[in-house]
Amino acid sequence: MQRVLILGASGVSAFLVLGLIAACSRERGVQEAAPIVCGEPPRIEIRVTPLSDDGTSVRFEVLGIPYEIVREMIISGAGKGQRGAAWFQLFVEGNTTPVQGTYEVGESFSFEPCFPLRRGVTYTARFGRPDGKGEDPGQVCTKQFVIPRRMPATRPAVAVMYPTIDDLPENQLKFYLHFSAPMSRGEAYEHIHLRESSGREVEHPFLELDQELWDPSGKRFTLFIDPGRIKRGVKPREEIGPSLEAGKSYTLEIDAGWHDAEGNPLKEAFKKSFRVGPPIDEVVDVKAWKVRSPTAGSRMPLTVTFPRPLDHGMLERVLTVTTLDHQTVAGTIAISEKETVWQFTPHEAWKAGACELVIDTELEDLAGNNIAKPFEVDVFHPVQREVKTKTVTLPFTVK
Amino acid sequence: MLSRLCSAIAVTAALLLAGSARADLSESLKQGTPDLKSIGPLGFGPDGVLFVGDPQGAAIFAIDTGDRTPSPAGPFKVPNVNEKIAATLGTEANDILINDLAVNPGTGNAFLSVSRGKGPSALPALVKVTNKGSVEAMKLNDVKFAKAMLNNLATGERQKQDAITHLAYVKGTVYVAGLSNEQFSSTLRAIPFPFSDKATATGIEIFHGAHGRLETNSPIRTFVPFEIKGETNILAAYTCTPLVRIPVAELKAGQRIKGTTIAELGNMNRPLDMIVYNKDGKDYILMANSARGVMKVSTEKAESVEPITKHIPGGGKAGLTYETIANLKGVMQLDLLDKEHALLLVKAEGGALNLESIALP
Repeated sequence: MQRVLILGASGVSAFLVLGLIAACSRERGVQEAAPIVCGEPPRIEIRVTPLSDDGTSVRFEVLGIPYEIVREMIISGAGKGQRGAAWFQLFVEGNTTPVQGTYEVGESFSFEPCFPLRRGVTYTARFGRPDGKGEDPGQVCTKQFVIPRRMPATRPAVAVMYPTIDDLPENQLKFYLHFSAPMSRGEAYEHIHLRESSGREVEHPFLELDQELWDPSGKRFTLFIDPGRIKRGVKPREEIGPSLEAGKSYTLEIDAGWHDAEGNPLKEAFKKSFRVGPPIDEVVDVKAWKVRSPTAGSRMPLTVTFPRPLDHGMLERVLTVTTLDHQTVAGTIAISEKETVWQFTPHEAWKAGACELVIDTELEDLAGNNIAKPFEVDVFHPVQREVKTKTVTLPFTVK
Repeated sequence: MLSRLCSAIAVTAALLLAGSARADLSESLKQGTPDLKSIGPLGFGPDGVLFVGDPQGAAIFAIDTGDRTPSPAGPFKVPNVNEKIAATLGTEANDILINDLAVNPGTGNAFLSVSRGKGPSALPALVKVTNKGSVEAMKLNDVKFAKAMLNNLATGERQKQDAITHLAYVKGTVYVAGLSNEQFSSTLRAIPFPFSDKATATGIEIFHGAHGRLETNSPIRTFVPFEIKGETNILAAYTCTPLVRIPVAELKAGQRIKGTTIAELGNMNRPLDMIVYNKDGKDYILMANSARGVMKVSTEKAESVEPITKHIPGGGKAGLTYETIANLKGVMQLDLLDKEHALLLVKAEGGALNLESIALP
């Protein structure tokens, strides 16, 4: 009788171990893949055991390996974790470079890929003599398998684009694209088009960054107009013209080819049309804001109205409400009226007394002017004051 | 015989002195598992220590690669390296992003920062490629490393996140250029290395006059350290390709400084990567660009050239002179391989990415 993988054990006990493995897998609620069986007895089997709930982290176990081969693998010169690498390989279909992972030869032979496998990709697992010599059908096993792709319940889409206003300044600096699902990196600029009203596409209007500017969730993309293409003074910077010109209308178009993180294309293209007006070169002046104080004992929102739209991303982040003894008031923020109204609803009812709205001076308008300084400094006419502090405050009283 | 013995003693003493004068850079690192959330720009220090930018984690890691054995001399030519890397990581080429390339100056081996997957939960991988074509994902657990945070963003900071455009190690300091996804601005951070327990970088805003009379706080796309009369400078490249000189001695925490524009290399272009090299006793910059090919820029007048303070019309050029290396197409990343060669990551027709060495032009 040819001895198998479990050293010093019989083939019967080896299959008992197999059964235990299967039982353990079922206990964890993990759907176990069917063993891959090749050759005639003595059979070598490749078993795939899921290690993660989503089934993409897996362990391959090769069972039924003749003792002589196990011994050969153990005494092979390969380093720790790589003994047996010459005998077992996992390949991505169409590629001859094996998937990297860790091997273990002992009471069982196993291989764990360094990274989870990808759904929808066809893999080939192969066990056999490295030199290909002396192979008999019982000592070679090759099998293809796929972890099925999961189809999304709904296709991803552009949920909203900021700014939402229909009239933008000529020196508009950035847009935020909010998606309904986490998106893929590395292809953003292929799918964003800025068109004049004639349909002609504006060439290279955006600042293209290889790193792409995403939020941690992968659902918000920041799109900057290339500052080299923002019109300055009476003449555009370059003869090719600015990205946006006052008096013209444009459409920002996101084509449906943009993929989400799972590789699914958008449900449909997204379009947002807007008119372009004169540039804004002024700093953001908090003195021009209107503050409507809430009533003590209520949870009515503190409402702040701005004379012009401000940056949506920063409005969510850089305004905080504090009591006079600098305790931050916890609450939720709502931004509305084309980014000209900011409302703060406290988690608990307002207490009577003096409060402050603390605003980071980095808060920007649509053209990148902030409270501290305008977007660009004119070296010949540095007339505008500069705010040197990190924050400014607006006091209000809860009565 | 005596003189030979004396020479041997002298050489031994010199070696011992040299050894005690400069500790191995990896000695400050501690064993553990770096909690990389993502992997971006790379830059090698001495002794196989690699500085790794983690934009999602807002951190810089110093990792001992353990790469100490020089690779045998010979040209580097690894075609379809993106497919080989993808297969090694258990996926297809369309499921990875190669973010940066750095050559270990001590061994000549290439290291690539790779995202396995493209969504926000993509896994970071550091991949070593040798000139023999071997591809290996480096072990990133139980390694010697140190970490410096780039800022103190609280988790309540919602959607703000910094992108890191480039980093480099120079004489005990790691310089990191980046920008935020909410502010168009240039932040250059200088982080002393070894990192202290509370190493936190402070930003420095850099203005330059590339837009005529208007000064803009633009993000640095890529930069390279450059010595001028013994003083370290940062030569920084911006969109539309102004090249700006910034003396590192002027970089002071929390301050705004003004860089000097020393070249306008043409508009409608993104600088991608650059290196400094010496040929026939003269220093040059080799710069890969998105639309203007690979430029060989003469640095002969980097110190004395008249600063550019006026608008350069028509997307023109001014300041330092350059030539375009006509036979280099599709270069996305580059690094110095040795004194006479550069290693390029090239996008070939059809989309395949190749690693190949060239003689420095």
